[in-house]
Parts: sequence; C-alpha cells; structure tokens
Amino acid sequence: MSLKDVLLPFLAWGKVFKNPVTIKDPFNDRPGSARYRGFHKNDIEACIGCGACEEICQNAAIDMVPVKGIETKDGDSGLRPMVDYGRCCWCALCVDVCSTNSLNLSNEYTWVENDPDKFRYIPGVDKKDWDNNELGWKKPENYDLNEPFRIQMEELKPEKRDSSFIEFVKGYSKEQAEAEADRCIDCGLCTATCPAHMAIPEYIKAIRNDDLEEGLRIMYETNPLPEICGRICTHKCETVCAMGHKGDALSIRWLKRYIADQIPESKYKDILNQGNDISPKSKKIAIIGSGPAGLSAAYYLTNLGYKTKIFEALPEAGGMMRYGIPEYRLPYDQIDKDVKYILSLGVEIEYNIKIGKDISLEELGKEYDAVFAGTGLHLGRSTRIPGAEHENVYFATDLLREISLGNDIHVGNKIVVIGGGNVAMDITRSLVRLQNQKNIKVDVTATSLESEDIMPADREEIDESREEKAIIDPGWGPKEIEIKDGKIKGLRTIKCLSVFDDEGRFNPKFDEKDKKFFEADMVVESIGQGMDLTYISEDIKTMVKFSDRGRIIVNKDFQSSLDWFFVGGDIIEGPDVIHGIANGHKAAKGIDKFLNK
Amino acid sequence: MENIIKSLEEKFNISEVIKKSDNLNILTVDKKLAMSLIIYLKEIEKFSHLVMLSAVDWLEDGKFQLSYILNNPEKKIDLIIRVFISREKPEMESIHKIWVHAATDQRELKEMYGIEFPESPRLNDDFLLEGWDNIPPMRRDFDTLKYSEETFFPRPGRQTYETKEYMKEKMYPDEKNSKNKKGLKDA
Repeated sequence: MSLKDVLLPFLAWGKVFKNPVTIKDPFNDRPGSARYRGFHKNDIEACIGCGACEEICQNAAIDMVPVKGIETKDGDSGLRPMVDYGRCCWCALCVDVCSTNSLNLSNEYTWVENDPDKFRYIPGVDKKDWDNNELGWKKPENYDLNEPFRIQMEELKPEKRDSSFIEFVKGYSKEQAEAEADRCIDCGLCTATCPAHMAIPEYIKAIRNDDLEEGLRIMYETNPLPEICGRICTHKCETVCAMGHKGDALSIRWLKRYIADQIPESKYKDILNQGNDISPKSKKIAIIGSGPAGLSAAYYLTNLGYKTKIFEALPEAGGMMRYGIPEYRLPYDQIDKDVKYILSLGVEIEYNIKIGKDISLEELGKEYDAVFAGTGLHLGRSTRIPGAEHENVYFATDLLREISLGNDIHVGNKIVVIGGGNVAMDITRSLVRLQNQKNIKVDVTATSLESEDIMPADREEIDESREEKAIIDPGWGPKEIEIKDGKIKGLRTIKCLSVFDDEGRFNPKFDEKDKKFFEADMVVESIGQGMDLTYISEDIKTMVKFSDRGRIIVNKDFQSSLDWFFVGGDIIEGPDVIHGIANGHKAAKGIDKFLNK
Repeated sequence: MENIIKSLEEKFNISEVIKKSDNLNILTVDKKLAMSLIIYLKEIEKFSHLVMLSAVDWLEDGKFQLSYILNNPEKKIDLIIRVFISREKPEMESIHKIWVHAATDQRELKEMYGIEFPESPRLNDDFLLEGWDNIPPMRRDFDTLKYSEETFFPRPGRQTYETKEYMKEKMYPDEKNSKNKKGLKDA
C-alpha cells in the first residue's frame, strides 16, 4: 500500500463543503427527458388492433388481446396490445411502426410493484398515472419504417385518352409492384372486409417473394375473376387498409391485376392444377346469367365435379362487367381471359338465349338438379319527372349496353347526366369520348342530388371525369326536363340541401328558391338500376318468398324458398362485382350441400 | 473546409465526398489509404480529436462500413471518414496508437460486429455481453426475436390472438376453414 492510498480518503474531506453533483432533494420529481422512452401509452380509440407492434417486437413482449367494450368491426380487429415488461427493452420500434400513431411511450420510468404480473398491462385500457403524460417518445415526423405513400400507377394523359376506349391505367411494372407490396404490414384487416374474404396479405406476400404462380393459386381460392377484379373491383379492402391511416392505403386492386397480368391464360391449368383431379359427378346445374355471380358459381361447381351450363341472354359473357362497364376501364380481352379459363374447365355456355322466352324456368328446374340465377340489375330507373318520357331521355344502362354491343347511339351536342354514382361517371366519360370521336365539342354535365362530399362515385372517377373536360355539378335535384316544340331544352333543378334524414333514410330536402337550369338536348338518367324478374313465371313466384321491397329472400346458402332455385349477385346483394363473386362461391357450396342431402 | 477536401482528394484518391453542411463532410476512402489519411488529418490538418468510431452492416453488399468521426477543435469542423471492409474477413488496422481511447471503440466493434483490429489492447475481453455464445448481435443476420424466444422463457399465462383468425371468428364464423381454433396463436 502506497502513501497515496493511505492519504487519498482524507483528501476527499477537503470537498465536504462544496456543492455535490448529485441531486440534493430525493423527494421531488426527477422526470425523464422530453423524448425519454418510458412506459407505453395507447390511444385506444385511435388504435385499430392491426398487430404491427406485436409483429415488429424483437423480444416478443407484446400480445394482441380482446378488450371488453371494443367491438370487432370493419377496419378494427377489436384486439389491443398488451405489453410484458419482463421482456420489453424500450427500443420503441412498436411506436415507430404503429400504423395509426396511437402507440407512444411516456417519459415515466419509475414504477414499483410487488406483484410481477402487474407488469403485464394493456396501455390505454388499464389506467396508469402516465396515461396523460405529454412528454416521452413519439414517432419523429417525416420518418416512417414503411413508405406511407402509394407507388403511382402510370396513366394515359387526359388528352390522350378522352377520344378512345383504350384502357388508360397502365399496370405496375415488377419493380413498382414489389415496392408497393413492400408497404403491406400483413395485418389482414382487409380480408375481413372483402366480401369474398380474399387472402389479400398472402397474395401480396407472393408478389414480395416474386412467386406469382403462388399468388394466382391464392387468388383463385376465393375469386375466379382476378383480371376483372384487378381492374374494376370496388376495393372495399382499401378503405380499411391500416396504411391508409398515415398515408395511402395499399393499391390492393392494382396488385391483384399485376399478378394476373403477368401470367398467360394458357398456363393457368398447370399452375392451378385443375381439370385432372376433379372427379365428375352425375348431377347437372343450370346457371342463368354469365355475370360475376354466375361465372363464380360455375367455376366452383365445376371444381366440385358438377356439370354446369350457363344460359346467357346477350351475345357474350360477362354480364354487367361487359355491358355496364366501359372498355377503357375494363378491356374486353381481359374479361375474355377470365371467362375463357372458366370455360376451359368444362363449363358449357349458350348465348342469346332468354329464360322465360326461349325456355322456361320450370323446364330448367326439371332438366337440371339445381338452378342458380344471377341475372343482375340491367334495367334503368327513371326520375319520373315531367319530360322524362321524351325520346332523347335515356337510361345509362341502356346506352352503356348499346356501346358495348358495338351499336351506334345517339350523341347530343349538350348532354346532361342525372346521377352521381360510378355508372353516371361511366356514361359521362363514355359520352365525352363519343363526342370527341364525332368531332362534337365536349359538353357533358353530370349532376346529382348528393353534394360533392357524399357523391357515391369513387373519388378518382370524379377527378378523371373532370380531367376529361366533363362538368360535374353536384347538389341539384331534378325538377323537370323542359321541352319546347318537341325538343329538349334542358333540365330544371333545385338546390338539394340534404339527401338523408337523421336516421340515415333517403329523404331529400330542397331549397325551392335556389334554382339552376342546365341547357341540354339530351338527358341521361343514371339514378339506380332495377331487376328484370319476368323470367320467373307466376307459378314459381308463388313458391318463392319476396321481401317487402321485392327482393327474393334467400338463406345464407343463397337458396330461395323453392329448394332447387338459388339466387345471387346484384339482385340479392349489390350492385357490386365482388359481392357477386362471393355470392356465387357461397351458392356453389350451398348447392353442393343441397344435392348431397 | 473546401481547400482541405481539395487537397485530400488529390492526395488520397477519395472516392466520394458528401457535403452535409458547411462544417461537416463525409469522405469515402480506400482501406489501403485510410490509415495514411487519418494520420495526415491528425498531424497536418489538426483534426486532433476522434469523436467516435462506429460501424454499419451492409449485409446485401457483403461489406461493413467503418465511420471515423474526426474533429478539428480550432476550426470547429468535422470530417467523417468512411471505409468499407470485407464482411467475409472483417479486419482493420488499429488506431489505438494514434488515439489511446480508440481501443475501447474497437473492443466494442469486435464484440458487436466481430470486426478484428489486430494488436488493439484487450480486444477480446467482454465489453457488454458477458458469456455471449452467438454470432455478434449487431450483425444483421442475427435473429434477435429467435434469440430472445430461445433464451428467455415466456411468462406463464400469456396468450395472443392472430388478427385475421380472430376477425374471421367474430365477423364471419360460418365460413371458417381454418384449423386454428379461436384465432389463438402459440405465445
């Protein structure tokens, strides 16, 4: 021991009257710094239970658990994160990845407890002193672990597309699709909302792994029309996408299209391994209508081994997808691709045959073991305002069908479209193209009861219509089509103040004094569609139950009260292609159950 | 600063210069010339202070990046010297003779990334990880989750629910075709 070692402790006494560096007062708060990573807080209302926090946690410290009073619904799993502080290492990756920014860390870091199980709790549900701490770790601004914004899809410029019916949305390249797929956090909220409950995160994962064949197999499990849905699905899935909370929802629809676009139809049979291992059954099923519901039912019934035959009133397959949706949104060769594959499995189809006229429903019922009808909503509905009976007042559905059939239609110089849904936008944009083709100066105005913010059409449809120089002037109620000397002069409207009442029922309120006159020589009504059930004979109508509103009542197998008669698609749920596909699939399972009783 | 960089570019074959601000630049230099550059900066350009030495694992490129942050206290300017070394045989000359305290940084990098600095004092002594028996944990191919699941036992009573399965059970149970009941995942 040196002398220094002996003397050193005494030297310390020299500092006894100096200010200590440690904190004097142990009774006052010693808060963590402003961005300290302390105990978790969660805004339980904002949280959607996507589970990204659980997924990213490198210590498996987070469980997703049900919470009393939080309901599972579209866009919210009803689960909430529970943290185990025996494992948490305060890295805050869970905060950085949180898709709603609901999860944060407080700057509280002291907590004493005797019971170790207390250190597992659900932030935001189990009340804690630090729940209202403003300070602590939050995700820094302008920083995201996942790209918050969508990879943009290339489109034809308005001036390049507004005179042709060529598809204007280009489709993703491999790099774009993989980058977009990379944004998916695999939470699966979309699957619950998709009417067909497609395994969306799984096929997006297949894109990430560049295994498109696997992607195709996954899609066909629940949807045999991927080319079609990849273009015109109403993509309800995208409305609940977790990524939509901080930026853009994933382009789920375009990713589906990407998979289908990359694989030629000739390879489908090998990839899906279909046709060889189906054991044929003797029973036969007739399908009325080759729209999404009919095609879907035919596909799944054929896979179950049944002989199926589709009866189609029009010259080609697709129903409303071909005769209601313009070619620039859904090219006919893409419909053909999906249809051709279904027919290649042995589904028969007869065109230009109308049930109730060429052959009766009774006859079908006798000849086949079961009948599925997916006949759609092909009839236009009229506003029934004065003047609506004029020959230059048309239904959008009729015009769209004539265009698809390749027939020439009357195109006015000044056209007013009544309606604010996607069909109204379809006919508006089609008429713009026809005016351009006929060298008429573009003059199409669409007006709807609904104001801009509650127009039922998709946002992009409204924006794109305007890009193509159509005028969209929402918030007007049609009053009268003015006719002078047998010619249409225009549409008289009054301001629509509200469309729905407090209980959400359709009950429009108007301001009669606020008027607007739309000059026009042609008017198109697009305010909804009706069903044509004239193919059902009076006899059968007595055996089938109808609701007060005239819809056929079906059970969850889409079976009507006449046991061999199954019904689905737009006439039951819709109008919507993906519901049709889901209905067709469920009806196929229902028919299988019925025939195996 | 500009003049210094200009002269360095001539002398040391600098492959990339990134200007972050007026008083911070990042230079990328070949491994062979890195030592000369660092000594030159310390002795001639008076970057007398080593702020820190750190590393990045570029797994896909098969490289480690070493970053030497140097400070010139008189001019109040900083330079980051980037050196890329092979990931397969990660080895770099030690700078402990230039700055004694660099030995500590190098000891940490040895433990966290497995980068060798021959002759650096106490290089193989445990730094933070006593009794570590796995690949260095800051390497990106180290699976943190797997390690923690294997190393730390789960607390009894824990259970978690899989979002997709749970929603299916709650919202459309009739269509259930999964083998996994109640959406329960193994904790």
